[in-house]
Order: sequence, then structure tokens, then C-alpha cells
Amino acid sequence: MADRIFAGFLLLVTLAYGYIALTVIKAPFQYDPLGPESWPRILTLVAIPCILLILWKPDAEPFAVAKRTWFRLVLMVFLLFAYAELYEPLGFILSTVIFGTIVALSLGAPRLGAVGFGLGAGVFGYLLCVTLMDLNLPDGEIVEAAFDLIEGGSD
Amino acid sequence: MGDIFGGLATGFAVALDPFNLMLVMLGCFAGTLIGALPGLGPINGVAILLPIAYGLGFKPESALILLAGIYYGAEYGGRISSILLNVPGDSSAVMTTLDGHPMALKGEAGRALSISAVASFIGGSISVVLMTLFGPLLASVAVTFSPGNYVALMVFAFASLASLVGKSTVKTLLGALIGLMLATIGIDANTGVPRYTFGIPDLLAGIDFLIVVVGLFGMAELLHLVEQQVKGHMKTLPVDKSFVSMADIVKVRWTILRSSLIGFFIGVLPGTGASVASAVAYGTEKRIAGAEGAKTFGTGDVRGLAAPEAANNAAAGGAMVPMLTLGIPGSGTTAILLGALLMFNVQPGPLMFTQRPEIAWGLIASMYIGNVALLVINLPLVGIFARLLTIPQHYLTPLIAILAFVGIYTIVGNPHDLFLITLLGIFGWFLRKLEFSLAPVILGFVLGSLFENNLRRALSISGGDWSILTEDATSVVLYALAIIVVFLPVWLSRRARRAAAD
Repeated sequence: MADRIFAGFLLLVTLAYGYIALTVIKAPFQYDPLGPESWPRILTLVAIPCILLILWKPDAEPFAVAKRTWFRLVLMVFLLFAYAELYEPLGFILSTVIFGTIVALSLGAPRLGAVGFGLGAGVFGYLLCVTLMDLNLPDGEIVEAAFDLIEGGSD
Repeated sequence: MGDIFGGLATGFAVALDPFNLMLVMLGCFAGTLIGALPGLGPINGVAILLPIAYGLGFKPESALILLAGIYYGAEYGGRISSILLNVPGDSSAVMTTLDGHPMALKGEAGRALSISAVASFIGGSISVVLMTLFGPLLASVAVTFSPGNYVALMVFAFASLASLVGKSTVKTLLGALIGLMLATIGIDANTGVPRYTFGIPDLLAGIDFLIVVVGLFGMAELLHLVEQQVKGHMKTLPVDKSFVSMADIVKVRWTILRSSLIGFFIGVLPGTGASVASAVAYGTEKRIAGAEGAKTFGTGDVRGLAAPEAANNAAAGGAMVPMLTLGIPGSGTTAILLGALLMFNVQPGPLMFTQRPEIAWGLIASMYIGNVALLVINLPLVGIFARLLTIPQHYLTPLIAILAFVGIYTIVGNPHDLFLITLLGIFGWFLRKLEFSLAPVILGFVLGSLFENNLRRALSISGGDWSILTEDATSVVLYALAIIVVFLPVWLSRRARRAAAD
């Protein structure tokens, strides 16, 4: 069933892909026999029979994911999005400490261990990447603002 | 022959540079570590660390030496979790569990680990020697390839991919097509026409290779780990004092030799990597051992342990051959390495041996050194790696996410990429769940423009006449091979079934 739904979705995407290749993509002028639209058309032509074959004869195991597992997965995806959202505003250190701690906790780490992991990953990660390897990681808008405030206050 | 020695000399000059030498060691060490962690195989390891290696701003040969070290180090380390935990790091280590874990259960973990280390070393060494001999030869043939030949070669590559990788031929093919379609996004290099960009400026240059790799492999793997989450500690068997004896090596010498050759040649086939090689080698050895083998294989037979380990390390080297000489990767992981080369503006292919010898030969020479380094690292330090196996999943999982985010953010500092890898991770998780293998997707993505450009070039030469694709002997042979590689397994399994029915 899951196979069919996914194949159906792929079919829609492929049809849209083929439709664009047939109508939208056009070179204003060209000397070569094959233009930018030919290759996508060929791909569409090969993909559609493959998808139809899966629709006709799906073979995946039933999509068995327990309710609790779904919950864990959705939570993880949510946390990842939150991490991505807060990456620049909070900066690498703060966002990583928070993300690391919460994920470790949610996956069943002991409380102290999770906090230790989060702090370690955030602080040592930053030192390792920025100081030692000279990579570019966000300092964080909030952190910068706070530093400005402190420096501003000391003047 | 003289060319080869000259090339090797160039290569060793590069690889023995102290900085590069350090990178080989570092790569091998990190690779073994990644391979040893249950659930993280070579492909995920290379995928997660690739952007970080890119961000460090090394010279191309240094970055490639580091990544290649991680790659075969991980292939090497995969056996540790297979033997001690019965959990393979990735599909190429599955066969190792069959006889490796029973040996560890019998209290011979140390012997199993050291035999497999020696088998891996010999497999890896044989394959790098074969690579030195055949690589330049293949490159000199490939220089004469016309665009039409390249199209035929691609068809052969995708045919062997579809036939030998994954459970379902159609799904593997579809996976490759998804990759090829993703590769068409962006401005068409020949005409300057934007394709599938929907007016989004970020898409004009196409989807970044690193984002696809980290998303489909790193992030999808992370979701897979969350799904499969095991509570608490897994039980590791202790590493005891038993060790490989001369008698063991003498007993398995032919097994190792045969498996190395099988592994190398399967690795060379485009699209098929270590997992197919180790399965075929194991099957072959079991058949050769006959009735007596049927009883002992699977219960801790040293031959059953040595065969897949020699084969998967030989295949790791073999898969490098088509990547370096033809620009067509032999496996998912080498597809990532190929993408890495492209990011450094190095076009892999037949001309690389003459135009960028320091990269091609430097890599080969570093593999000689890496192999020795791995053996030296692995025999005494295996206890340390074994202890790492007990890193609980609840720390490993967030660590993967943090590494992936660091890697992707450091490329251009665009936070939108972080969302993109998460979305691609979800997509990749679904694909995996539905039994699509992910390696074809990345192979399709990397080869997309090469395939398309050669097809267009061929037809430009012929003025639109499609018969150019089949008009010379090389192409016809390649198409014939493509047909054979698709139908031979079908025919063999039919015959086996008929034989079983009789």
C-alpha cells in the first residue's frame, strides 16, 4: 500500500516534470539537435513505465511503524527544524547545547549525562571547529547583542 | 610499465609529504572508528564528514586522501561491530556477522578480529596493486572514447547497477532516475536556459551536491537510528587474548586470494560495490568447501570470516578504478568521492592520470600506506575501538545531527540549507523504508550531467542521427554487456530453480 501511495506521488511529480519539459523549457535559439528539454523528456519516458510497474506490482513490506516510533520520529524532525531555525539567532554554542541535551534526553539518556553531552558538544565543538579548524560557525545574534550590551555598559 | 613506476614515484612523493601522511593516518583512524560504530557505515561516514573536509580548505589531493582514508578505514572497521555485536555497520559487513559473531561467542573474539584484519589487509593490498596495474591501462583505452562510447558506458553502468544492487531492479532504476532528474535542476550549461528552478535564485546553480549527500545519507541515517532505537546498552562481547596464528593464515590463504580477486572485479563493475562483492565471495567459498563446508559455515568457520572481509576491502579499492579512469564511480561511496573531486574543479576521467597525476597517483600511493597503517592501527588498538561500540545511541544520534549541521553550514553559511538537508533526510528515510537503495540516487545525481552532455555531444557530431550511438564496436560491446548483466542473473536463478526442481 505504502509502495503504491509513494509511486502515485512519484507519478504526479514525474508527470509535472515531463509537462514542464514539454511546454516550458525552450532555448531561444540552438544549433544542436538536442536542446535543454530533450534530456528531461527522455528521463520522463523511462521513469513512467518504472513507476507504473511499481503501481501494478508493489513489493515492499507493509509499512509497519509503531505509534510510539512515529511520535519519536516526528519529535526528532521537529527538533531538527527548531535547531535549524535557531542556529543563527542563538549561535552554535547555545543552540547546540539545547538541541544536544533535549535530543539525548528524549532518546533516553540519563539527565546528567544529557546535560553533560549537550554542554560538551556545544562548547568543545565550537572550540574545535572555530579555533582549531578555522571553520565558519554562527556566533549568534543574541550572543553578539549581549556582548555589545556588556561592552557598551562598560564604556 | 615505466609509466607506472614513474607515476608511483610521483604518487609517493605526494603521499609521503608529512601533512598528507598525517591525513592518511587520521583518515584511517577516523574511518575505523566510524565503521566500528554500529549503524554508521562508510557511505554515511564519508557523507557526514565530506563538507567538513571541504570547509577546511585543503588542496584537492589532500582532501581526497583524507576522504579515501575514511572510506577504506570504515570498510575495515565495519567488521568490529559485526563480530562483537552481531550488528553490521552497513550492508557490506553483513556477511562478516555470519561466521565472525559465532567465533566471538565461542570465546575467540580476538582471533576473529585479527584474522579478519589480516584478510582485509591482504584484500586491500591485492586490490591496490591491481589498481596500479590496470588503472593506467584502462585510462589509456578510455582516452579514445567518443561521446557515443560514453553513452554506452553509462547505459552499462546503470544496467549493472539495476541488476546487482538492491532488492528490486525497477526500484534501483527508479532511484537512479530520481538522481538524474535532481541533476537537471539548474541552468543548462549548453544553452543557459534555466530548468526546474521556478524562479528561485538558490536553485540556479543546481542543488548543491553536498546537500544531497548529507541529506540523503547522513540525515536519513539519523532518522533510521531514531526509528530503530535500542534502549540502553547493547551487549558487546569482550575482546579476549586469542590471536591469529600462522596456521590460520595458511588455512585461509587461497580463500583470501580468491575472494580478493572476486572482490576487486566486482568492485570495478560500475555501480556495484563492497556489499555485492562480500556476498558473492562468501557464497563462492561455501560452495567450494562443499558438504563439509555446509556444516561449518555459519558456525564460526575461519574461511567464512576471511572471505567477505578480503572481498569487501578489495572491492573498496576496485570501485576506485572506474572512478579514477572513466569518471564513473564503482559504488555509492566512490560516487561521493567523485562529487568531491568535482567540487575541487578536478574532472575525474582518463585524462586525470596525465593532467593531474599528483591527485590520481597520490591517492593510489596513499592507499598503499593506508593499508599498512590500518593493519598497524587495528591489531593492537582493537580493544579501544571495541570500547567505542558501547557509545550509547542516545549520544550518537544527536552527534550525527550536530556534525551534519556544522558541515553544511560552513559551506556558505546559509541557514536555509539546514532545512533542505532535513527535508531530504525525510525523503531519504521514506525511500529506505520502501526498500529503495540510496546509492543509485547519488550515482544518478553525480553522473547526470556527464550522461546528458555526452548524449548531446554525440548527436551534435552526427547532426541528430541516433545511429551514431551504436555505430562503433566499443559501444556495441558495451550494450551487449549491459544486456548480459541484466539477464544473466535472471537466467542463472531460473536454471538454479529448475535444477532444484529436478
